[in-house]
Amino acid sequence: MPAFLSAYDFLLVSMVLAAVLALSLYVPLMAGQLSLASPGFYALGGYIAAIMSTRVFPVTGGLYSVWLVLLEMVVAALASAILGLIVGVPALRLRGIFLALATIAFVEILRVVALNLTVTGGAIGIFGVPQPFGTQIQYMWVGLPLLGLCMLFVARLERCRAGRALVALREDELAADAMGVNPTRYKVLAFTVSAIIAGVVGAISAHFINTWNSRQGTFDTGVSLMAFVLIGGSRTFVGPVVGGLVLTALPEVLRGLADLGGLPAWFAQFLRDGRLIIFGVLIALGTVFFPHGLITPAVLRRFARRGGGKP
Amino acid sequence: METLTCRFGGVVAVSAVSFAVGQGEVFGLIGPNGAGKTTLFNLVTGLTTPTAGRLRYQGHDITGLPPHRIAALGIARTFQNVRLFGELSALDNVMIARHVRTHSGLMSGVLGLPSARAEEHVTRQRAMDLLDLVGLADRPDEQARNFSYGDQRRLEIARALALEPQLLLLDEPAAGMNTGEKRALSELIRGVRTRLELTILLIEHHVPLVMDLCDRIAVLNFGQLIALGPPAAVRKNPAVIEAYLGDEA
Amino acid sequence: MNASLLVQQVLNGLAIGSVYAIFALGYTLIFSILRIINFTHGAIFTLGAYATYALTGASFGFNGLLANAALPLHLPFGLALVGGSLFAALCGVIVERLAFRPLRTRGADPLLTLVSSLGVAVALVNVIQYLFGAEAYSYPADPFGQLPMAVNFGFGGQAILVRTVQVIIFAVSMVVLAALTVLMNATRTGKALRAVAEDTVTASLLGIDTDRLILLTFVISGFLGGVSGTLVGLSVGIAGPYFGIAFGLKGLAVIVLGGLGDIPGAVVGGLVIGLVESFVPSQYIAYREAVPFALLFVVLLLRPQGLLGRAVVQKV
Repeated sequence: MPAFLSAYDFLLVSMVLAAVLALSLYVPLMAGQLSLASPGFYALGGYIAAIMSTRVFPVTGGLYSVWLVLLEMVVAALASAILGLIVGVPALRLRGIFLALATIAFVEILRVVALNLTVTGGAIGIFGVPQPFGTQIQYMWVGLPLLGLCMLFVARLERCRAGRALVALREDELAADAMGVNPTRYKVLAFTVSAIIAGVVGAISAHFINTWNSRQGTFDTGVSLMAFVLIGGSRTFVGPVVGGLVLTALPEVLRGLADLGGLPAWFAQFLRDGRLIIFGVLIALGTVFFPHGLITPAVLRRFARRGGGKP
Repeated sequence: METLTCRFGGVVAVSAVSFAVGQGEVFGLIGPNGAGKTTLFNLVTGLTTPTAGRLRYQGHDITGLPPHRIAALGIARTFQNVRLFGELSALDNVMIARHVRTHSGLMSGVLGLPSARAEEHVTRQRAMDLLDLVGLADRPDEQARNFSYGDQRRLEIARALALEPQLLLLDEPAAGMNTGEKRALSELIRGVRTRLELTILLIEHHVPLVMDLCDRIAVLNFGQLIALGPPAAVRKNPAVIEAYLGDEA
Repeated sequence: MNASLLVQQVLNGLAIGSVYAIFALGYTLIFSILRIINFTHGAIFTLGAYATYALTGASFGFNGLLANAALPLHLPFGLALVGGSLFAALCGVIVERLAFRPLRTRGADPLLTLVSSLGVAVALVNVIQYLFGAEAYSYPADPFGQLPMAVNFGFGGQAILVRTVQVIIFAVSMVVLAALTVLMNATRTGKALRAVAEDTVTASLLGIDTDRLILLTFVISGFLGGVSGTLVGLSVGIAGPYFGIAFGLKGLAVIVLGGLGDIPGAVVGGLVIGLVESFVPSQYIAYREAVPFALLFVVLLLRPQGLLGRAVVQKV
């Protein structure tokens, strides 16, 4: 077991963080809003952590304090919330395609800005982000509770009054409005929650991968997140989590297959490098065959019945 | 508690229409297709803003308010093409409309605070009561889209009632119903008006239903008000008869 | 400001802008007929550029599956351009059949089609990377033979130079604009296309072969994509497969600014963005990349129908 954990430590933590990030795409989607803005907040969170740990609280030797990491996550959450409100309030008056485009624009603008500011290290980015843990698998101490908390939060959100309002907006925004649900208020709420989640993941990720630059949290990331939610399931919080876990593991599994040998070289190479090809094709297939993803509330109900019914 | 006055100068669909609805009335709105009746409803509920004119409700000027604020003030509606939340259950559909009468925010809901849970319980109970009122209490968890057309219309009424409105706008509630259902609907509307002390504004094509239920009727044609008065008078109005000549009621 | 400097900047802006315009024309054509944003246009653009490159007989670099591969052809640039663009058109049609048609028949939300096109675009671009690696390529230096390298618009002794290829791009964009406008407004096919744009169902009830027209739309759009990819590659070089994605993103800004689906709007949008980029003061040159997106964001907030579009009224 320890050998497995250490061999796959990077992958396992990545899976968990991806699952949380997928939830950040899911929350606005509950209200029918396709927002590809999460990568932007993810980038912001990462920069905050990287800057704080390399410039504000530089560490001389040994490990960086976990408490400081948690502090960074709080700061990232606050910054993301504020930026989320600033961007969200005007942008969320847009619907459908227009909102998606605005969020894409937002991420690109942030990327270019990050590429050019000195505080973010310009094109090179920030290196040597200190580690709070000795081994990578220990990041699970932060990652797993974070995933658990976010899952719990979203699960409860789905069941409460505010969550109902979001779903009503998704089903029919006009009717929801006429029934007393303030669309802007709830869309901004969902967007801000999404921003906070993404920012927090960014903060911990900066430490996890030890470096941060403008290539983190880009349009590509958004496409991957879309794959997680679209394939995993867009109608229940379980979907994005499963999608994030499985689709992050998938390239590694394929890489393992490729390394097994016996496969033609071109196929093995495809298995190794074709992550985005696979995600892209999955997205295209998903929109046609699984518009609500693989894990739907119906699937969950069947699971529950089988678990509770048959002993 | 007083009257509703609407004075609209053209959106192109509605031109200088003006009338007042008294509290407790069942007020009918009829006219050939495209006369502007639904547009009028949209104006009253804030889905469209009038180009000119004012909307007054209970002594307040509510012109230009967004739909959710108007809902909060106690004006509820059903839609000409049923706009239920299809994926959600019947119960959920009705519970959503309790939104303005409840308060728990995101955090109290997510944290499961006692106040939120108590409120949730009350919401659920009220919603069940309303489903019972319209005769749909046997299938609360069924997806709204699976209901028959007639049942969907009743569900929409239950949803609108969940708002605890004082003014209820019904847009062709009897469309697609057979005679028996129409009679039941008529009973329901009368019952609801009395029990809940509502004022009702009704768009309907089925003339007997309108003549039977309404205290007063307004007739629209090409966006203009061509007649206003009790059913008997309107029925004999020559302008009304002419407007309907091409249109079988 | 110095007059000739001003003129130079304007001309530069128009040059950059017409590159965007050519790309945007194919992009907005699809939206005008089908009301979908076809993000794969960026990938088709890349495919066209690579196909033309291959058809000129040049070989591909060190990485990728097909490293050092080359076609046993050495077509002159003009023919290669046409061939590459036809290939791009073919790819566009294949994408339409495989990815978009199923969504159309299911009556899917345009948002879903956008999502699908994002996935397909990323997949295609990565396939190109897988096959040919991520290096930059450039076309042979003298594709048009005898033409001078630059045109001089100068006056009064000051040289104001614009590269010939940029003039050609501008000319092509104008020609395409004219051709598309004539097509849409003065031909029967154009009328049929506009009928399809209004309402596909009604159009087919009127006896219009909607399927064939949609195919035609994708052929034209793909061909334009290929042409623009090649011309851009000629002008600035092919910076690797991802330059199609970058263009795809910027193209969004162009077509929204001009008005989604508005064909002259694509050109107007492209030229405007090009001019704005050209006039970015030198100390902010690094932020030039962000200009299209900042403009996109602002336009979406203030005037989503774009400069030339009509405001859309939603029927309740």
